[in-house]
Amino acid sequence: MMKIRIALGIAAGIYAMAWIQLASAETLNITLANITEANGLVMLEVFAAEEEFKGEQPAVASISQRAQTTAMNFSINLPKGEYGIRVMHDVNGNGELDANFVGMPTEPWAFSNNATGNFGPPKWSEVRFELDGATNQHINLNK
Amino acid sequence: MKIKTSLNRRNFTRGGLAMAVSGALTSTASGWATQPSRANKFKQAKALHPWLMGYDTASQDSFHAQATIQGAWPKELVGTFYRNGPARHEIGNFRYSHWFDGDGMLQAYRMSDNGVSHSAKFVQTYKYQAEKREGRAMYPGFASVPDNPSPVTSPDSTNVGNISVLHHHGKLLALWEAGSPWEMDEDTLDTKGIFSFAPQTKGVPFSAHPRVEPDGTLWNFGYLSNAKLLVLWHIDAKGKLVKVDKINVDPMGMPHDFIVTSKHLVIMVPPFHYESNSGPTFMDAHSWNPDLPCRVLVVDKNDFQNHFWVELPSQWVFHYGNGWEDEAGIIRFDAARASSPSVMTEVFRKVMQGDIAPSAASAHHQYRIDTKRKTISEAPMFSPTIHSEFPSVDPRISCRRNNLLVMLTRDTEQPALHSNLNEIATFAFDSGRLNTFRYPEHQLPEEHVFVPKPGSKPESEGWIVGTALDWKSQQTLMTVFDVRAVEDGPVATATLPYALPLGLHGKFVHA
Repeated sequence: MMKIRIALGIAAGIYAMAWIQLASAETLNITLANITEANGLVMLEVFAAEEEFKGEQPAVASISQRAQTTAMNFSINLPKGEYGIRVMHDVNGNGELDANFVGMPTEPWAFSNNATGNFGPPKWSEVRFELDGATNQHINLNK
Repeated sequence: MKIKTSLNRRNFTRGGLAMAVSGALTSTASGWATQPSRANKFKQAKALHPWLMGYDTASQDSFHAQATIQGAWPKELVGTFYRNGPARHEIGNFRYSHWFDGDGMLQAYRMSDNGVSHSAKFVQTYKYQAEKREGRAMYPGFASVPDNPSPVTSPDSTNVGNISVLHHHGKLLALWEAGSPWEMDEDTLDTKGIFSFAPQTKGVPFSAHPRVEPDGTLWNFGYLSNAKLLVLWHIDAKGKLVKVDKINVDPMGMPHDFIVTSKHLVIMVPPFHYESNSGPTFMDAHSWNPDLPCRVLVVDKNDFQNHFWVELPSQWVFHYGNGWEDEAGIIRFDAARASSPSVMTEVFRKVMQGDIAPSAASAHHQYRIDTKRKTISEAPMFSPTIHSEFPSVDPRISCRRNNLLVMLTRDTEQPALHSNLNEIATFAFDSGRLNTFRYPEHQLPEEHVFVPKPGSKPESEGWIVGTALDWKSQQTLMTVFDVRAVEDGPVATATLPYALPLGLHGKFVHA
């Protein structure tokens, strides 16, 4: 069975929300919509560079929060710069983003700019955005 | 995009979220311009050629009526005939540019002592519901793209459930080419939702032509063009997934139907090759290669990884009648063979704007595979001037040796008012005899199926049940023939008080 394991704030306690506060901050407001089930956890990762997006370096911010079907809002203070966001909804709370036997995710996911890619994850160039002053990202989860 | 075979946290954090999405959702190009005149062109053409109403949108979102019976309805012919097909071709001011893009409508003709009643409802797919809510076309389809299309994030987000219908172990499923089945309520035709055979197969393509053996064992395939994967399914008579596996097929073509014998699955991969992002739509991302062979995959039913390839000259096939295998390991099967996929790439695109092209140029062939020598050969079954499609057989001998074939035909040497197939035919392999009944000029026949008479021996007694659109009276009718004398014409008809768009595949379920 091919699954994607999610680092679900295990150490911080289930359903704990991890805030990342940084100095000299600009505010990144993130709204997650189209969450179809109030089960499990929504995990959000913010990357400051392509290397982070590719997993070569850790994400600058990582948030796990219990899913709700109304829009979920997050505010993160980060230095001015270029960022990208990845979101996964671990509906059944098994700590993994489930996928079927040919590798297609069977739980909801999304990226900043609502980038969807083409037969695979989107490129950094499709997900990146400038954080310069208060910036909003309205992201719809995909089934 | 390669398929990840072991997804884990590391893959995820590396951005390796493997969305091994079927090619069915291609269309990155929003530049496939909407043709504002397409709907008008079709309307003008329909005024001149009223039979084109078969490609119009259904006049209602749902239908229910009692049919008027003429002739002597066989008293043993009780049950339900389900038919699926594209029935919404326009949304707002956008008309699809291909017949296969029409949203699926499931119909049920229920035959009982009280006569024949008919009902129909649209399959409530994600796409249908979203577009209905918004009042505009939103998603790219098989060969149509609206302006500013919304992203297609999985095959099922553009799955219109419009090709065929399967009734298996009490489940009624509306099937598409490259996505999940939609589970339907038998009584109400309401859509229950996406159906999965098992958690690990959620969203894995299950194509529109599963084959059911006489004991209820079900086989099917699916394909993911971009991932170059062919998926094979084995489901038991109780609907339980026995096994599912994948085979790499490169280049990937567009297999639509397949053959099952007592020992093998046979899947043709025509040289209509897919290349990611090479066209504005899924269909257009394929190229026809007439100089390349048609590859044929022969798979051991017990072990999907035990398979071999044989090659035929370039050709295109939509549908097969039946296949069977003798004790010496010789497989025989029949198919409606065409020299190219032009009926799909040209005819069914042109008709959407009212341009009339010649009918399906497919002629029936029989094929022979020697599974020991790994060879294949083919031969025409009758005159190439007789075009054929929609073959079917007695379901009691499905995947076993058959003698009788039921199909739609057209004698191209006889002039006709419209360009569709216009005859219902039976062909007997032992005598080589082709019996036909030609429908009146004002009736367009749809697929017909063999319905066994309960208690009779296979292929001995039964009926051919089909439907036809009468464009003159603007009514759809169900016709019943005695399978032993199709040339005598229908023994009974059940006429509806309305016309329905031309559908695709149907299935009869005995009461």
